[in-house]
Amino acid sequence: MAEQQKFFEVIKSGTDIDFIGNQKYWIGASIVLVLVTFIMLPVNLYLHGHVLNWGVEFKGGTQLVVEFNKTVDASQVRDALTAAGLHNADVVKYGSESGTQAFMVTLGSVSIMSGEQAKKVEAAIARVGDASLHKFESSEGGDKIYLRFDKNVEPPTIAAALRATGTETTQIQSFGPPEDHTYEVTLIGMEGEVHKALDAKLGAGTVKAIPSVSSVGAKAGKQLQIDGVRALLGAILLIVIYVAFRFDFRYGPGTIVALLHDAVITVGAFAVTYKEFSLTTLAAILTIIGFSMNDTIVVFDRIRENAAKYRDRKFDKVVNHAINETLSRTILTSATVFFVTLAMNIFGTGVIRDFAFAMNVGVIVGTYSSIFIASPILIWLNEKYVAMQKRQAARPERNVRKPARRDEEEAAET
Amino acid sequence: MERSWWWKLALYGAAIVLAVLYLVPTVVTEEKNLPAFFQKYFKKRIQLGLDLKGGLHLVYEVNIEKAVSSKVDRLANEVDDALRKKGADFTVVRTGRDDIAINFKVPGEAGKLDDELLKPFRRDLDVVSRDPATGTVKLKYDSDRVAEVEELALRQAIETIRGRVDAFGVAEPTIIKKGTDIIVELPGAKEKDFERIKSIIGRTAQLEFKIVDDGSDYMKKVAAAVSKSGAITVAPESWTEKHQGTQHEDVYLRVKEKDKDELTKFIAGLAGDLAVPNDREFGLELMSPREVNEGTPDKYYRTYLLKKRAGVTGEYLQNAEESWDEMGRPEVAFTMNRQGSDMMGKLTGENVGRKMAVVLDEKITSAPVIESKISDRGRITMGGYGDPFKLQQEVKDLVGVLRSGALPAPLKKSFETQVGATLGQDAIDKAKMSMGIGALMVILFMLIYYRVAGFIANLAMTLNMLFMIAILAAFEASLTLPGIAGLVLTIGMAVDSNIIIYERIREELRLGKSPRTAVDAGFQRAFWTVFDAHVTNFVAGIVLYSYGSGPIRGFAVTLLVGIVTNLLTSVWISHWMFAVLVNRRGTVKSTLSI
Repeated sequence: MAEQQKFFEVIKSGTDIDFIGNQKYWIGASIVLVLVTFIMLPVNLYLHGHVLNWGVEFKGGTQLVVEFNKTVDASQVRDALTAAGLHNADVVKYGSESGTQAFMVTLGSVSIMSGEQAKKVEAAIARVGDASLHKFESSEGGDKIYLRFDKNVEPPTIAAALRATGTETTQIQSFGPPEDHTYEVTLIGMEGEVHKALDAKLGAGTVKAIPSVSSVGAKAGKQLQIDGVRALLGAILLIVIYVAFRFDFRYGPGTIVALLHDAVITVGAFAVTYKEFSLTTLAAILTIIGFSMNDTIVVFDRIRENAAKYRDRKFDKVVNHAINETLSRTILTSATVFFVTLAMNIFGTGVIRDFAFAMNVGVIVGTYSSIFIASPILIWLNEKYVAMQKRQAARPERNVRKPARRDEEEAAET
Repeated sequence: MERSWWWKLALYGAAIVLAVLYLVPTVVTEEKNLPAFFQKYFKKRIQLGLDLKGGLHLVYEVNIEKAVSSKVDRLANEVDDALRKKGADFTVVRTGRDDIAINFKVPGEAGKLDDELLKPFRRDLDVVSRDPATGTVKLKYDSDRVAEVEELALRQAIETIRGRVDAFGVAEPTIIKKGTDIIVELPGAKEKDFERIKSIIGRTAQLEFKIVDDGSDYMKKVAAAVSKSGAITVAPESWTEKHQGTQHEDVYLRVKEKDKDELTKFIAGLAGDLAVPNDREFGLELMSPREVNEGTPDKYYRTYLLKKRAGVTGEYLQNAEESWDEMGRPEVAFTMNRQGSDMMGKLTGENVGRKMAVVLDEKITSAPVIESKISDRGRITMGGYGDPFKLQQEVKDLVGVLRSGALPAPLKKSFETQVGATLGQDAIDKAKMSMGIGALMVILFMLIYYRVAGFIANLAMTLNMLFMIAILAAFEASLTLPGIAGLVLTIGMAVDSNIIIYERIREELRLGKSPRTAVDAGFQRAFWTVFDAHVTNFVAGIVLYSYGSGPIRGFAVTLLVGIVTNLLTSVWISHWMFAVLVNRRGTVKSTLSI
């Protein structure tokens, strides 16, 4: 036999912290956090008009990164946009390098033709040359409008008439049969409009470039929200099915609650900080669910193993012991992942940063939930189960025990 | 143990060599610098995703609403015309998108709208209700037809978008259908072209029939002006009109497919004496050579001189279907609606023996000779004696174009991301740095905490990265920003597997087991824990992938690949390395640096 070896360790072996005995404080803390989340959502709705700071993918709208040649501040940009009729622009500083002046501009609309703008334009072009406008069709957020006249009009004439109203177009072509005299007008994109508005107010050549633009129609955004919730629930369901299959049903509910707990509190972190909740955040939450599950499985695995080994101990002691045994691994892993994502949070950019922030929160919550949420629920369910078994054992004609799981059940009962 | 040890060495060694081979093309960025061996067997490389390389990501929905409502508008007009001929007093009201209501002044006259009058519309319109008291007849556009419109419009939209995108010459464009949406990805598109590309892609397709002006003096003059040394060649053609026997002779210009630019430049440069007449224009058609001579003949473009004014447009087409001529060759049969028949009859009647170009989106899809006056029904023979299967495919395509061209369905942009190349580079640098720092921290930690075992873990982790990137290269996956985040997270997962196993080995050692038994027991006991953890992450990854739009999908792909390679490296390969460590020939170590 080799002599006892010494290791470099953070958590000394034989550590025995009473997690389960103090569970009510921990569960209390979780309930508070979950409540904070649910309180913050309506509070945000009241303060900002949205429950979460939805990214442009979810809420619909246009997001642009604008680089400037000279120093401007956010309020100047906002004012310049308002002057051009682009109201309620959200302007934040983008990037951190010195030397470049860049702002992220988020606008609620995806088209330069807003409802009121459409009315104005319709009135202004009621007559173009000797033709009169019969029908003006524009859809909210559409990048095209359809004009029907009573006689033929040359596209350049229409373009000129529209330009007079401040509406720039990229293309006009006839639509449908020639005797319909209908024209399809493609409007310039939002980036063109923003460029024009900023140059007009802040001086020509102020805008260096608009290197990134993304726009999402309101309908597509709604769809993404629905898909997102569906993906989240789908992932949780699949994972729980796998756990129920690998362990047994008593382990299932604890996992579901723990995963929902993690998802809710991570969303809560975004509600409290009012950071942008984008598609990437959603991906982060799905990853957190995977990681939290990872943690829960490591603990559960040890509980199962120990339950079979120490049949003479009470189940809650077995659980507490298993948590302590795996504590070293739990802390090490969580700390490593936490610091890796923290590095991504500090040194990363844009998307990576959002992702890392969600992961930072999620790693902490996920680790915590496998110890303080999933395990107590497992103990509680086990007690119920044992009580039920005892009642059934009193009626020997209905013994429903499954032989394969006998050993652990017996361990749990004693 | 000994023998299996060697087998494993050979297996893992082979895997590493293969991975390195797959990585070479990605590392050597210029394809021409690649040795011939790689050019032949290992050409695939990791593509940079749109967010890193810059480019356009567009999602269009086909505006079925607009297509259907214009169609119903038109039907309402036709019913109106037909009824007016019968001398009734009424008003036609369009209520919903699919609904037409006809209110008769005198309720008794409602009978004039009888089955006989509605016969031409029986495929399109259903009578919903007749109210004899008020004299109101309600008609509705057939719901099957709405579905048909949707399907055809979608198919045509994809076809036209593909044609338009190909014209930009962007490398590796992706055009896919997702539900009723069309997703277009153009990585590497130039920033200055974004606006133009968007406006061209989003245009509504136009189908027109135009008459080819053959035998013109103008064309002869142009042909004479073509320089003999350039890529453009002049070719004559002639055909005989079947019934009258009239001879038609013409000249046209042709260039190989790759020299198209030269031809368009030449045409754009025609000026002065050679300027294109006001009522004429040039059209181009991409031709496949009819007879296969020796070698592989190139496709080529040829010109047609067209009368500018479209005789008939697609709006008047009622239907088009596949059919066969007397010789059993596939052809397209089409029917026009009433108004269209009149116009088509006039157009073709005046031009028998000439060619009529079918122009979709300013490109000629075919230009058959008009053999006789076409009124309500016509046929388009494809000509050519090539591969019958290919011919049939062409016929199918044209049918698709004609059928849906009958209804312009505008495209509506619902999602757009455009990234300039400079932003992409900045993102790559930052991502690389954050990834490097993260990885360095992990490596240092493992070394300090687990010493020699930590070294093994780091080696396994490096191999994991190697395999991951090689697999991504082998599938030509695109690497996106979230994809890089996925790579970093895989490091996290690899560390986790190692920690689970090592902590277990430590526990076994504490029980007083020898290193060799402790290592085996540790790996064995920890295996299922690690496995379960990987499976659950894999499940989350699959859900992400199927949800995935663009960037998220990139993340899911790296995650999924990473899970598989991690299981291999941190469980099997590192177990093997431990076996080497604790069980060297002859000596059995009594302590383990872990």
